Amino acid sequence: MGKIRRLVLDVLKPHEPTIIELASQLSELDGVEAVNISIFEIDLRVENAKITIEGDSINYEKAEHVIQENGGTVHSIDEVVAGKMIIEDAETPQDALR
Amino acid sequence: MGLLYRALQQLREYDDIAEISEIARRYFAMNAFDGVLTIIGVVMGNFTAGVSSSAIVISTGLSTCMAMGISGLWGAYLTESAERKRSLDVLENHTLSDLSGTKIGRASRAAVIIVALVDGLAPFAAALLVLSPFFFSTTLGEITISYYLSLGVALATLFAVGAFLGRVSKGSLILSGLKMIGAGLVAILVSHLLDGR
Repeated sequence: MGKIRRLVLDVLKPHEPTIIELASQLSELDGVEAVNISIFEIDLRVENAKITIEGDSINYEKAEHVIQENGGTVHSIDEVVAGKMIIEDAETPQDALR
Repeated sequence: MGLLYRALQQLREYDDIAEISEIARRYFAMNAFDGVLTIIGVVMGNFTAGVSSSAIVISTGLSTCMAMGISGLWGAYLTESAERKRSLDVLENHTLSDLSGTKIGRASRAAVIIVALVDGLAPFAAALLVLSPFFFSTTLGEITISYYLSLGVALATLFAVGAFLGRVSKGSLILSGLKMIGAGLVAILVSHLLDGR
């Protein structure tokens, strides 16, 4: 099976534990080299976070478990990169219309 | 050592999530204060009634300590569990997921236990401290010395609780302690005035 090298997740989580704690825990997982979490929406009790995880072999189940353990829910998997290297999405004529 | 470090680390994490220390601090000060004032009432009651047997003072005092401890433990456990369950439910409605098995759920349960223990032990320990001179009444000689010493310990404990609150509010430790002593003096004075003899 090909190795997952990048994951971009849309996550809904409570304010506590903070994204500092969550990022730190995700970065400690085997096969993870870096984690980026940015908040793009804040509600009274919850917040929407975009979590980007990069590494040489990311285990999605383990990452999801850490997120759930911290009270978060994965709303969608917005981007996945797998294989021997990281590639960005290819430009298509439709992108030019945006 | 590693296990203890991990446990402390986890406790700190639960504290961040459930804000345990803030509530525990409040309960500690409030109930230690209650405990001292209640036992002042018991000691003064015995004093004005002319009780000269330390065994009677210890017996009535210990019963009061136990009752306050149980009341604190039980009451805080029930109210805190109800409040914590309610806030977890509200949060679950927002996240649309079951949080009971997560770190948040565990922090919430830990908060209930810690707060209940603080709420029960604070008045018990504070009252026991005030009662302690009566345990040494045979060594101290005259029981009146035990009474005076006990009231002295009560005022000192109140000062310590006040100073603790002063430290929390980053205000004057002495002023805060003196305010607490004021309550103790009022309790002693009122009990003395109630003496019908």
